[in-house]
Amino acid sequence: MHLAPWLLYSIITVVAWGIVGLLQKLSTNNISAESSLIWLVVGFIAMEPFVYSGAAMFRYSAWNMSWALLSGTLNALGAWALFAALKSGGKASIVAPLTALYPLVVILLVPFVLHESITRLQVAGIFCALISVLLLSA
Amino acid sequence: MQKDSQIEAGQVTGQPRDARWFWYSILCVFCWAAWALFSKFGSREIPPETMQFLFTIGAVPIGLALLAARHGRLERSPRGITYGVLNGILSGLGGLSLFAAYHTGANTAVITVATSLYPIITVLLAVVILRERLGLRQVLGLVFAGISIVIFSL
Repeated sequence: MHLAPWLLYSIITVVAWGIVGLLQKLSTNNISAESSLIWLVVGFIAMEPFVYSGAAMFRYSAWNMSWALLSGTLNALGAWALFAALKSGGKASIVAPLTALYPLVVILLVPFVLHESITRLQVAGIFCALISVLLLSA
Repeated sequence: MQKDSQIEAGQVTGQPRDARWFWYSILCVFCWAAWALFSKFGSREIPPETMQFLFTIGAVPIGLALLAARHGRLERSPRGITYGVLNGILSGLGGLSLFAAYHTGANTAVITVATSLYPIITVLLAVVILRERLGLRQVLGLVFAGISIVIFSL
């Protein structure tokens, strides 16, 4: 069976983040969610020497480098907001599926900001995936 | 009647505080949606390794802000710390792969949705490692995930 490169990469992401989901549970059994997030950033930093591409990095456009930097800030900010929602009384059974719906915002924005279109088959796949995420996060 | 209106007033005044969790959740949704889109914007030109390098630099201020809010105090649980750091490394590897997927130029919406399917692995690992039992809802979730992966691979 031939897998498209994007699908293969996506499967690796799903496996890695799936393990993170379990480790997050084990981590917060021992330390607070905020501490866990701080140590997660330490884990990110531990990877830096392996992904550093040297001075070649500065040949990319300032705009695209800014998007990359902002993506890190917003990802961590989103994780903090999730913990804050749980800490301020949100039930995990509601907060988790609600926050898992972030791809829906992406789906709605992509045609306008990236001018990409999707096939009917992809719509069916997205529909099944969103239902799955809702069911599994609850 | 007066009692009713007092209760209503209490509910109304209590609402903003009680609804904070909802607004934090919405903030999370928009932050993560923007994270996905900005990752795509950057990945059109920048290769995955450099994306991951810059992503981390962007995440550090939030980690520092959290540390400052706790006055630098962290729990000293070796197990908790180990899991936390491992989380970061695995999250980073997952992120690296996500940037690689975006870098291929394939459909952004499809990649974002496909990679959000990671709870299937968490649920399966919880069954195998933590001996948790699957409910009907989770079984259905796994079925829908399977269908979507088959559709995406067509």
